[in-house]
Amino acid sequence: MGSLEGIIAGFQVAFSLEGLLFVMIGVFVGTFIGMMPGLGPISAIAVMIPITFGMDPAPALVMMAGVYYGAIFGGSTSSILLNAPGVSGAVATAFDGYPMAQQGKAGKALAIAAISSFIGGTVSVILLMLLAPMLSSVAISFGPPAYFALMLMGLTAISSLSEGSTIKALISAVAGFMIVTIGIDAQTGTQRFTFGNVNLLEGIDFLVIALGLFALAEVCTLIIKRKDLSQENAHKLGSMRLSKQDFKDMSGPVTRHSFLGFILGVLPGAGATIASFISYITEKKLSKNPEEFGKGSVKGLAAPETANNAATSGAFVPLLSLGIPGSGTTAVMLGAFLVLGVQPGPLLMTDRPEIFWGIIASMYIGNVFLLILNLPLIPYFAKILKIPRPLLISLVIMFSIIGVYAISFNTFDLYMLLLFGVVGFVMRLFSFPAPPFILAFILGGMMEQAFRQSLTISNGSLTVFVQDPIALTLLIVALLSFVFPLIRVIRSRRA
Amino acid sequence: MLKTVNQRISLVLIVVGIGYLILAFQLPSYAYVPVDADIVPITLGILLILLASCLYFSKDSETEEQKARRKIPKKDIGALLAVFSFIFVYILFLELMGFVLMTMLFIFFCSWFLGYKKHLSNALVSILFPLCMYGMFTEFLNISLPQGLWPF
Amino acid sequence: MKKVFIGVVFVVLLIFSAACSGGDEEASGTEGSKEWKPEKPIEIVAPAGAGGGWDTTARMAAKVFTEEEIIDSDIGVVNKAGGGGAVGWAYVAGQEGSPYNMFVASPPLLFIPLNGQSEYGHEDFTPIANVIADYAAFAVAADAKWDNLNELFDDMKKDPSSITVVGTSSPGSMDHIQFVQIAKAAGVDVTKIKYVSDQDGVGLTQLLNGSVDVFSTGVSETVEQVKAGTIKVLGVTSEERLEGEVLEDFPTAKEQGIDATFVNWRGFFGPPNMDEEAVAYYEEKFKELSDSEAFADIRKQFGWDEMYMNSEEYQQFLDEKKGEIQSLLDELGLGE
Repeated sequence: MGSLEGIIAGFQVAFSLEGLLFVMIGVFVGTFIGMMPGLGPISAIAVMIPITFGMDPAPALVMMAGVYYGAIFGGSTSSILLNAPGVSGAVATAFDGYPMAQQGKAGKALAIAAISSFIGGTVSVILLMLLAPMLSSVAISFGPPAYFALMLMGLTAISSLSEGSTIKALISAVAGFMIVTIGIDAQTGTQRFTFGNVNLLEGIDFLVIALGLFALAEVCTLIIKRKDLSQENAHKLGSMRLSKQDFKDMSGPVTRHSFLGFILGVLPGAGATIASFISYITEKKLSKNPEEFGKGSVKGLAAPETANNAATSGAFVPLLSLGIPGSGTTAVMLGAFLVLGVQPGPLLMTDRPEIFWGIIASMYIGNVFLLILNLPLIPYFAKILKIPRPLLISLVIMFSIIGVYAISFNTFDLYMLLLFGVVGFVMRLFSFPAPPFILAFILGGMMEQAFRQSLTISNGSLTVFVQDPIALTLLIVALLSFVFPLIRVIRSRRA
Repeated sequence: MLKTVNQRISLVLIVVGIGYLILAFQLPSYAYVPVDADIVPITLGILLILLASCLYFSKDSETEEQKARRKIPKKDIGALLAVFSFIFVYILFLELMGFVLMTMLFIFFCSWFLGYKKHLSNALVSILFPLCMYGMFTEFLNISLPQGLWPF
Repeated sequence: MKKVFIGVVFVVLLIFSAACSGGDEEASGTEGSKEWKPEKPIEIVAPAGAGGGWDTTARMAAKVFTEEEIIDSDIGVVNKAGGGGAVGWAYVAGQEGSPYNMFVASPPLLFIPLNGQSEYGHEDFTPIANVIADYAAFAVAADAKWDNLNELFDDMKKDPSSITVVGTSSPGSMDHIQFVQIAKAAGVDVTKIKYVSDQDGVGLTQLLNGSVDVFSTGVSETVEQVKAGTIKVLGVTSEERLEGEVLEDFPTAKEQGIDATFVNWRGFFGPPNMDEEAVAYYEEKFKELSDSEAFADIRKQFGWDEMYMNSEEYQQFLDEKKGEIQSLLDELGLGE
């Protein structure tokens, strides 16, 4: 194939002094921006585009890639420490990361996140290097029916995210699905539930919901407990050293989700957020002690953190080898390529091997940099929790506000944030779990669109879902994962 | 009829579901697709009503701990309302007064209100923090935050 | 009691500082000078989030203005996302008469008001200048049975239900209408066109895996795929053939006997009733921008075409385009 020479050229780019320097700058800026609440990889890349203008493309792109996965890497910090996810891919990280930090194990939680991210990132780069040319056909193998089946499969896991009452979990999910129907419907251009308000035309942003339901709702709980001494635990940072048992617990999820996350990342439209959620629920389903999830489980933290980083590398497959941006973030990344006069696509590997392989090779180094950059800083990050409660509460609120404002630069979204804060708090009071709400919000929207696209294409015939082999397989899996727990329940009742 | 918490919640949800359904049925139709924009919302509305009815008849499955969450002292409810009104005022004046001034005021007063007594360090944080954030966003990241009355 | 006090102090301080804000607005008005020149920072609104086409155009223009020293004042790009542009437009509309605000726009400024999604349309603003143009391309898979638009349209006339068109925007907006416009000129019954919208930008994927048949998109998005031999472009919507490697091989709809074109123009607008002096100033500056070598490089990098129009030409052009789109939407039953 002659790709060996290309790979060598790529490594030369990545390991040159210039390459190393720019990878370092990239991952540093990326982690930094990713840690800022609300500023995700999209803003990080967009911000860097004007800076790279006129630079030599190879080092510039190596840097941009670093910014991208660095932002995902850094996004977990505020999720874990403050329950305030700054990046949508880090929402699932908060499910177990935040409880762990609250138990006085913040240092450990951050270390687990960093190590899982590192492994997920590295394994997926290896996969990317070995399989990128082949995987490009996987990336385009999913038609609308297959996407519908994939999303449906994800949604069948809702009951597993309940805190006791399955009905309440399902109600949460339906509510989340209802919220995502707000806005202009893509298939018809119809305005749904917008009440003539222009601010609602594009729907409600995911981060508004996530920060409202998680960060602000948590703020409410903190306010109530602000004088409660039993909460002193949260002031402890704990050791960041992991025990043998921790590593043992991590090994399973980290291995599994390096692969699963990568594959989901390869599919255009899926991306880090969906990968992290699907990994979380898969891990919970596989676990022998699912009741530990949501209460600071090591596995529950390692799974989404591995997956979101693996998915980030995965997203480079369609981008580099097909020129197809699979998400908003990679679309901006594509813009960054174009600014530098590089057109990603099927020809990139042969025309500009040094760039194609240079980016991939640099990701090994980038991940190592991220690890050595982040691990020593963990004790300092964790100190955030030492900030006196009243001040910390004010700061979390402010961060949530900046985060949301930086999405649309519009105060309307801030009022929505406030509203969802109240909704989130009320849901907590009445034991309605928030994760199904968020999951249905993410998957539901895509599922509806894929469902209707499929039927438009098939002129309304439902057979389109069973004719497509991928869709059929996924639908069967979805059905089984729905039916099996049901059978188990019925059996246990009889016994 | 409204004995348990579940029953009360379920009635509220049914009302929400009906409201949503009414809106869903009013959606204009579009001639060129087999599945129109209202199908999924209608399904969701019906699902919500069904699930809420199930909730009405379901036994209370909450643990004691979950129930305890609802016992909030009156004083704390007041504190919550106050903090939310602070946030509301913060948002209301954010664009008019600018990020820096509003954030300074917000951090200082909100922390004070919640019982932070070290006024000097509170003042320091509430002055330096917004300045750093503002400088970083506008200068380094080129993302403009509301300037308001802030001179530069 | 103490808490009440804190609350009161907070509110009083607010009112006080809000009251102070009223004072300095009057002093900053600029009147009377004949040769208008900006004295304050200029704000360009990109009515979308960071990274999109509008944002890129605005940021690149601001960059060239500053770096080539065409305009001395500071130029800031502000994102006002939402409603496909409507939120940003409403914001600029509120700055009536201000010579320091402008926004970047393209055909959605015509589509979105016509779809009833924005109360402001191009007639509410002051056109300053158009700078670039882009064109639509209709692509099919490389092994598709059609080799030109007429073969495709003939099949669409025979059995419209067998052909699906994909684009990024929702029906009634750009990717849909650009196709409808050309198809109509070729005699296809436009109410029978099957169109699906894929907002995650996966339209190309759907084309490559055979889920859909035609991809309605921008010219530059197709070049690399055509080079790689995965898709073929049946037609582009420009008046004449485009220049450049690969691009010059794309047949126009016109040369295939279909008398229709579609331009994805992109330019800058000011708030309602912008001062004429200011418009004249900016017109000239945008001309300079458009003629500069730095901007030519940027155009080349992004695959944009040069298309300068001054305020008056722009106004006329827009009125004309709006009429065309209106009649198409009426035929589809999508207009408000």
